[in-house]
Amino acid sequence: MPDKHLSTQFDSELNGVSARVMELGGLVESQIRQAIYALSQFSLEAVEQVGQMEQRVNAMEVEIDHELASIIGRRQPTARDLRLLLCISKATANLERMGDEANKMARMVKSIIESGAARALPTSDLRVATELASGLLRKALDAFARLDVKAAVAIIKEDDLIDNEFDGFVRKLITYMMEDPRTISSSLDLLFLAKAIERIGDHSKNVAELVIYLVKGKDVRHTALDEIESAVLL
Amino acid sequence: MNATAIATPSKNALELRNLSFFYGKFQGLRNVSLDIAEHKVTAFIGPSGCGKSTLLRTLNRMYSLYPGQRAEGTINFYGQNILDPQQDINLLRARIGMVFQKPTPFPMSIYDNIAFGVKLYETLSRSDMDDRVEWALSKAALWTEVKDKIHQSGLSLSGGQQQRLCIARSVAVKPSVLLLDEPTSALDPLSTAKIEELIDELKNDYTIAIVTHNMQQAARCSDYTAYMYLGDMVEFGETEQMFFKPMRKETEDYITGRFG
Repeated sequence: MPDKHLSTQFDSELNGVSARVMELGGLVESQIRQAIYALSQFSLEAVEQVGQMEQRVNAMEVEIDHELASIIGRRQPTARDLRLLLCISKATANLERMGDEANKMARMVKSIIESGAARALPTSDLRVATELASGLLRKALDAFARLDVKAAVAIIKEDDLIDNEFDGFVRKLITYMMEDPRTISSSLDLLFLAKAIERIGDHSKNVAELVIYLVKGKDVRHTALDEIESAVLL
Repeated sequence: MNATAIATPSKNALELRNLSFFYGKFQGLRNVSLDIAEHKVTAFIGPSGCGKSTLLRTLNRMYSLYPGQRAEGTINFYGQNILDPQQDINLLRARIGMVFQKPTPFPMSIYDNIAFGVKLYETLSRSDMDDRVEWALSKAALWTEVKDKIHQSGLSLSGGQQQRLCIARSVAVKPSVLLLDEPTSALDPLSTAKIEELIDELKNDYTIAIVTHNMQQAARCSDYTAYMYLGDMVEFGETEQMFFKPMRKETEDYITGRFG
């Protein structure tokens, strides 16, 4: 049976809003990459650019929400159309939150630069975690676009790696702060930065969970990994 | 297609087993098996010609009026097989009432529209009959609108009121099952909303089976939904599940408007 609606207008509305959410994802991804660059190069210019992207992200979120409300109001979607629109709504919220985290990272970088303590701190460790987090976002967006539940499960597993990195980094920071109390203030900035990265990973995981909800109709939030895997196999 | 679906652990008003139906040589239903749960609303959806109205018409032997039409299989209605040739069709129709797509009031007063059917089965005193008419009209949420003109013609009512009059007429003989064949397709949205509200109230006392082309209506007012296509029952399940994540792709395609 055909995958297209009898109403081609409905199809183009759904395709349109799906494309918008991918576009938003791409924008947030480059926002995160720009935040990593700001961190690795201690670039105030890059910090500035992250803030500008933040405004575009926020505006896009509002536009997507408006489109969703309009489609739901006029089309009364059911079954997989309904699940798609619910998931787009939630994915949009998650992406916007990721943008907020990237912006938070940029603000911390700015604060570290201004304190002048930049070179003394273990920032290179964070770059690894950030690469992991932005890679996870890319994979989550791919899984969403391809409705790939297997990839979604892999993302949920991978988020644990970022959480482990975060724990290790916190322990490392503690040793720095004990060695030299003058680094405490910048270390705290770095801690918030690390937390922002960890949150980005969590939001990517949320998007991956939405893919399973969309394809399988199964809500796997707050569910153990082995249960998620068996839900996907069904 | 696997058409066996047993809906609920609760009591069933009607149990259809391997029901097939023939219009002469043409087979309109193929081996349909499903349970219609007591005091629930069961909706039948599907494109024109899928057999949903045919199925409804077998449930009170409406087809017996037409030569050349026959049903096979069994329909268990509280221990008796509706399709049994010995079945008293008039009694059956008193217990399984039907309301059609277009309102069909008799060309008589509102009062007599209700009393006419009751008189066929019961002998009531004048005051008992008055009570029954008021009761039936109240059940159909029509009493307050017509109580001052109860001896005017039923045909003087609006379309939505006429349809509720037909529901009152069915209710008046105290059936256990109500069959509604697209009861709101000729009505405006307000009258439709009233009928849907009414369906929700009536299910406390009656078992309801409804055929509708309006999928949102099935989603709004039924507990169980059956999707039919070309005489087969494709899928049967709880309405919430059917409209959120049906098991079969064919069902999802139809429900989301991808059917072509």
